[in-house]
Amino acid sequence: MTDKNLDKALDIVSVLINGGEIKKNGGSAGLYEEYESGTEVYDIVNTILKKLNINIYEYNYGLYITGGEGNRIFGYTNDELKKEIGVKLNRELYMCYFIMYAVMTRFYKAGNVSTFTEYIKSEDVISAVDSLLSHIMGDLNVLGASQIEEGSFKELALTWEDMPMVITEESSLRAGRSSKAGFVKLTFNFMVSQGLLLESDGRYYPKDRFKALMENYYDRYKGRLYELLKGGKENAAD
Amino acid sequence: MADDYILAREIIHDHSARMMNIKKYYPYFKLTETDFSAYQGGKYGMLDMGYILMAVLRFFIEENSFKEKDVTYNEYGLFMKDIYSRDFELTLSEDEEKELSLYIFDKIRNDGKPFTYQYFEPSEKVKRTIRMRIIDSRIKDDTICYYLTSDAIEFYLDTKEIKDESTISIAQVLLSKMIENKNFKGGTEVIKRINSEVNRLKMKKNDVLALMSEDVFEGAKAYEEFVNTGIKWFDEEQKSFEKNMELVKEALSRTEGDTENTAALQDIFELETELKKAIVKHSELLNACVELQRMADEMISDAKFSRLRRSFDFSDALKTAMEEDNAAGLGLLIAPLLTLNIKKTFDFTYIDRLLTLPAIKEEKGEEIGNSVEEKYVYDDELEEQRIDENFGFYIINLLKYIQQRETFKLSEFNDDIREKYGDEVLKNSDFYTLLVHMCGKKEYIVKEVLKKPDTFFEEYMVKAVRRADTDEYDDIGFRLEKIEGEEISLFDIAHISDVMIERTGCTYDR
Repeated sequence: MTDKNLDKALDIVSVLINGGEIKKNGGSAGLYEEYESGTEVYDIVNTILKKLNINIYEYNYGLYITGGEGNRIFGYTNDELKKEIGVKLNRELYMCYFIMYAVMTRFYKAGNVSTFTEYIKSEDVISAVDSLLSHIMGDLNVLGASQIEEGSFKELALTWEDMPMVITEESSLRAGRSSKAGFVKLTFNFMVSQGLLLESDGRYYPKDRFKALMENYYDRYKGRLYELLKGGKENAAD
Repeated sequence: MADDYILAREIIHDHSARMMNIKKYYPYFKLTETDFSAYQGGKYGMLDMGYILMAVLRFFIEENSFKEKDVTYNEYGLFMKDIYSRDFELTLSEDEEKELSLYIFDKIRNDGKPFTYQYFEPSEKVKRTIRMRIIDSRIKDDTICYYLTSDAIEFYLDTKEIKDESTISIAQVLLSKMIENKNFKGGTEVIKRINSEVNRLKMKKNDVLALMSEDVFEGAKAYEEFVNTGIKWFDEEQKSFEKNMELVKEALSRTEGDTENTAALQDIFELETELKKAIVKHSELLNACVELQRMADEMISDAKFSRLRRSFDFSDALKTAMEEDNAAGLGLLIAPLLTLNIKKTFDFTYIDRLLTLPAIKEEKGEEIGNSVEEKYVYDDELEEQRIDENFGFYIINLLKYIQQRETFKLSEFNDDIREKYGDEVLKNSDFYTLLVHMCGKKEYIVKEVLKKPDTFFEEYMVKAVRRADTDEYDDIGFRLEKIEGEEISLFDIAHISDVMIERTGCTYDR
């Protein structure tokens, strides 16, 4: 290992960790070339990131990273996430998770099965959440007392059901926690800030970072994700 | 313009009828607000007014309609007794029972007053009050008897949805009866009801399809239910439509020659038009359902196939999370999409928590009992002490001997101390160690040594002299010289060279 290669590898790691872009046809193109062609640089970058519990993916001539499962240094606590999104209660945070998931499934049915949807709009997501929660909402028509547990999907459905579509016609485009449209907008804003979506005229397009993670992460960690979903009450965000 | 007129007419003129139609539900919801936890200190908190009302209604229907007799208060009381013990597992004394039954009866009868609510009558622009009773009373043979009002009966019968029969078919039977009785206007109303049912089924079909596209397996369940409650009656409904169409045609041909009955003719035409519309709508629904069937099969087979794929299925993962009913688990699926969290934050609430922590009023010191602290002496310290004492002993004896003799051999000194202290004094290894150290230098002057000890031997000499607490050795000086060829035998075990010791200082002789 030469000092020069180590230096380049550290440059790449540093740019990625600081949220910078490394793309062949964009920012830091030189670093992309180094990663792509220099075997040693590639190895060093991967070793460092692995030790830091960070996953790296290549997509469309660009490099993208994400924190590995349970990454306590670069992961988010529930409180940090709530602050980032702009919600206060746990059930609101879970509602945002659910909306994000609805957005994800608009674009991808499975890890490698794209729906070829070009963009989505707020109303698509609202109706998607409606449909995804519909069979739970059916159960809510007749509801026994003390049946709503904290952190359950029933609580989630109730939160959604109890919200009006919009507060006023004028505020329909504003993000907020008191209407369905506001909540979806809030989640969209967060996804845009995370570099996952691009907004143009009320339409949201998936960015390469979103595609890179959707097409790579979930297939690779399929088994582990199912294990956690079925077994544990663990929360990666905690 | 015409559409607007129809819209306004429907809103305004039908409003009263709608209000009259929903009035039968009002007492039920009003009564369910009864909170038993506020009655008698909450000891009947488990009672549920909604359930009790339905039970009482059923009891009254049994007595009033089936047995064709009114109900006395005593009969009601006996019925309620069963409800308490069987359904709520309450054991009550006779007095408690009577009191509770009366309380409930008064509630259901609304203390004898009708249940009322207000609504706005748009055609007359006034507020109207709707009144409704559930139970009414009359006197028969000097006894007060109770009976259900027709509204209450209608409400009770309306609460159970008849799932296993087609609403459309029932309406068609009614339609046939109406056509036969020449009630064409009423027939048109019935057809409108049929149309709304067809529309409802269409909407239901869309719901099933939407659910299926999100969650195939939940969708499949909904589809199955839809087939059982909707689609399976299609053939029968089609036949009824044909039959009714025949009836309308017959009525039309009978009335066509009748010039006096133009109003009836008009009604029949309207009926026919509505019926035709209904038939078209119904066939549309049929086609949509066939399409739904095809799509459902396709989706189910697709979903089954995708389960076999190695790829991560997002809808399946969501289904798993929902089965576990752990919404927080969704965080696991979202976390990979998030950027690294490089902003490290300190929550201000922690400061709050620090400030609001209850302070300890007085800091308590550690309690120490009366036990005496143990003193540990380690092995090396013991050894050190021994060496110190032994070296001091030999040094002082040597100095004393030097004071007495100006020149002497080490062997002579040995004999001297052996005489004084016995053989053991020469068997001590410390003595020989001391000799080795002592031979490290040729000459010693005690005064000088006391000022500045240089060697290991000199340090022990200082300690020994200081311990003796006298200045009598201060002026002593001595020189050492090895005597070549002379050795001292040590109990036939070892030999050491003999040494000549010559006093150099010491001003006096004892």
